[in-house]
Amino acid sequence: MSLLEVRNLTKSFGGVRAVDDFSFGAEQGEIVGIIGPNGAGKTTAFNLVTGVYPLDRGSILLEGKELAGKEQFEITRSGIGRTFQNIRLFKGLSVLENVMTAADPYSQYGLFSLFTLGAAFRRREREVRAAAGEYLSLVGLEKYADEKPSNLPYGLQRKLEIARALATEPKVLLLDEPAAGLNPSEVREFIGLVGELRERFGFAVLVIEHRMEVIMTLCSRIYVLNFGKLLATGTPAEVRANREVTEAYIGKEDGSCSV
Amino acid sequence: MDYFVSTVIFTGIALIGVLGVYLITGLTGLFSLGQAAFMAIGGYVSAVLIRNYSVPVVPAVVLAIAAAMLAALLVGLPTVRLRRDYISLVTLGFGEAIVALLNNSANITGGAMGISGIPQLTTLPVVLVSVVVCLGLVILYKNSKYGRQCLALRSDELAAKSMGINVYRLKLITFLFAGALTGYSGVLFGFYTTYLEPAAFNWIISAEWTIIVFVGGVNSLTGTVLATILLTGLPEFLRFASEWRVAIYCVIVLLIVNYRTAGIMGEHELSPKTLRRLFGKTKGAPR
Amino acid sequence: MLVQNILNGISLGSVYALIAVGFALIFNVLKFSNFSQGGVMTVTAYAGYVASRYLSDRLDSLALFAAVLAAAALSGAVIAAAVERLAFRRLRRTKSEPVYYFISSITMGILLENLVTIYASSNFYSYPRFFTTSAVPLFGVNVAVTDMMMFALSIASLLALLFILHRTKIGLGIRAACFDVNTVQLMGMNPDFLVTTALMISGALGGVSGVFLGMNYTLYPQLGQMVVKGFVASVLGGLGSIHGAVIGAVLLGVLEIFFISWVGAGWAPVFVFIVMLAFLLVRPRGIAGIIVQEKA
Repeated sequence: MSLLEVRNLTKSFGGVRAVDDFSFGAEQGEIVGIIGPNGAGKTTAFNLVTGVYPLDRGSILLEGKELAGKEQFEITRSGIGRTFQNIRLFKGLSVLENVMTAADPYSQYGLFSLFTLGAAFRRREREVRAAAGEYLSLVGLEKYADEKPSNLPYGLQRKLEIARALATEPKVLLLDEPAAGLNPSEVREFIGLVGELRERFGFAVLVIEHRMEVIMTLCSRIYVLNFGKLLATGTPAEVRANREVTEAYIGKEDGSCSV
Repeated sequence: MDYFVSTVIFTGIALIGVLGVYLITGLTGLFSLGQAAFMAIGGYVSAVLIRNYSVPVVPAVVLAIAAAMLAALLVGLPTVRLRRDYISLVTLGFGEAIVALLNNSANITGGAMGISGIPQLTTLPVVLVSVVVCLGLVILYKNSKYGRQCLALRSDELAAKSMGINVYRLKLITFLFAGALTGYSGVLFGFYTTYLEPAAFNWIISAEWTIIVFVGGVNSLTGTVLATILLTGLPEFLRFASEWRVAIYCVIVLLIVNYRTAGIMGEHELSPKTLRRLFGKTKGAPR
Repeated sequence: MLVQNILNGISLGSVYALIAVGFALIFNVLKFSNFSQGGVMTVTAYAGYVASRYLSDRLDSLALFAAVLAAAALSGAVIAAAVERLAFRRLRRTKSEPVYYFISSITMGILLENLVTIYASSNFYSYPRFFTTSAVPLFGVNVAVTDMMMFALSIASLLALLFILHRTKIGLGIRAACFDVNTVQLMGMNPDFLVTTALMISGALGGVSGVFLGMNYTLYPQLGQMVVKGFVASVLGGLGSIHGAVIGAVLLGVLEIFFISWVGAGWAPVFVFIVMLAFLLVRPRGIAGIIVQEKA
């Protein structure tokens, strides 16, 4: 049984077929890439898997359990974490609190324990705070724990999104254009970070990216989407050699053009 | 002196009610224009139980708060799934419906004429203790998983859901807590003025409380407390200019909203950390 | 009885429609619920009264009515422009979130209502009888002339509004501002002018509706709280849709009249609330609105 198996994902918005019969999957510890020109339906696929949009058709199996049709927060708690293409951090909270909040849904204490300052409440608060601190250290943000996320430079905000996603204890981590806006040295750092995290936690990672450096270095398998349909799939070498993929991105080679 | 005490009591009662609004609007980002209805429920239920049915004080108060929470549940269940723009409308409608209900139940509630002869049980110590306890509960709530998740869903509901937060349940719990606080403030109110009438609990009151939270700084609990003292206590002191009282109040609010939009306190919160920074700096200032 | 109720409901609904449309217009342009409209309505209703007292010797019946309406509409436009300058201009300069406009507008509304209270000292005033015949038989029931006038004038005002919005340059500008009030600057239009104009239109509509409400009920300082009806009608019709606001308003008027005749004026608000809640749960987008799906 695969860790994540998505079958026949289909979604239309009005007359536009955003995702058309797209099937993909990931095994434990695998890093899988999803690439394609802009508007190909990659983020939509992520939104369908995480329950942001309802599916028209298809099934999402995590460790064999069906997730399609469930609420977003149920899907997340089942083990699917994510980051966002346009950074969506919690502006009203500090950096540390952003990460703590992602762990809070797993906290068991109730209002009674809270209002009586009971042991369960105090213990859990310490745990969550410590765990959040650790996640921040993993991505190198421990110095910024009390900062407001909007004060962080862009690259660090992206790291914070990852730390926050880690706190949801994911079995599968969905990264949506995590390297967008990063300069080359930040990209290299990021590639290293993802590898480390995968080693440490053993989860599967699905990455949507346009930066080929990231995809080719990290991914063992790639899916190529175009106009919502699966265009090609395979190892990085196979996909790179695939003519259809090149055409989708750049266009056909025109023999009459000679420079 | 009496007048001063009365002002403090009214301000304390208002503060407890406004804390409810802070929870819903400041912490969770929901706009409720019907909070005054919970105050009415708390006040009326406790008054009727004590006056008409000779229920002892403590159970009457507990039942009144429970009634307010039940009402909060009834309104909250459909509301938390509605789009943000609609919440103010539904809560406003609920508030007006409660007022209409109170106006029409003359046999129990005295209708539009109101209910009088409520025993005066609210004293300064009672109010002060209540304020301290309620404020303490809200501070605890804010600094716990509840407060954090509420702020998260207020900042970005979609992202909050994606981080595993059950936003509906959280909104509902906050709504219930706020309803309980506001209901209790209604109990205290009735037991102080010894007289309740439905017209005192219209949506304008709810709007004024919401305004107070914003004037204080919607992100700051300290601001809410200060703004309540400023905007409730001050008009009482300005009683001499009674005709123009509300107009002056409105002008103050307009100035703050327009020129210091973040509110009096902005983002700042009075906490052990900030106090240390304030005083620590002066102590450790270099020669 | 049924016909009577329906006609009354439509007449009431047409008054609500004027409020709702002004409300919806500002919601479209500035993206917030403008509760100051209530305060404006109160002031204009009283302004109309002052005009009627002043002119009642010189004009009569239809002319007096027209003069009162003109005075109200004009004062509505002027006051709304002042409100924009005082309560919203600065927020627009600092690009504040819609919620602050909302707070500013409610406060402004309360302020206006209070100023009227101070000057009118909570007395009840009422308009003079404008028309000599009070009712005209129609469809087998007696229809009050005032009701017919209100209905006709509401339709006329709404048609005038549609004309302005769709057939004039200013209207085009306002419609553009509904999409993005800042970008219109790049297109060579002055956003301040457009916003002020939109507010003046909503103020004029509010003025006319203020007079109608004053005729239906008496003049009292809390008259402006009827703006809530406009809010309800807008939401029922679908926030963001002017046509929807009209439909929602008529629906609200008919519902209210029916519930009043059925369970009495006291219980009617409760039932209206329940119907409204049920409606929103079943059709969140309202009658004519659209729901934009949030993208992740």
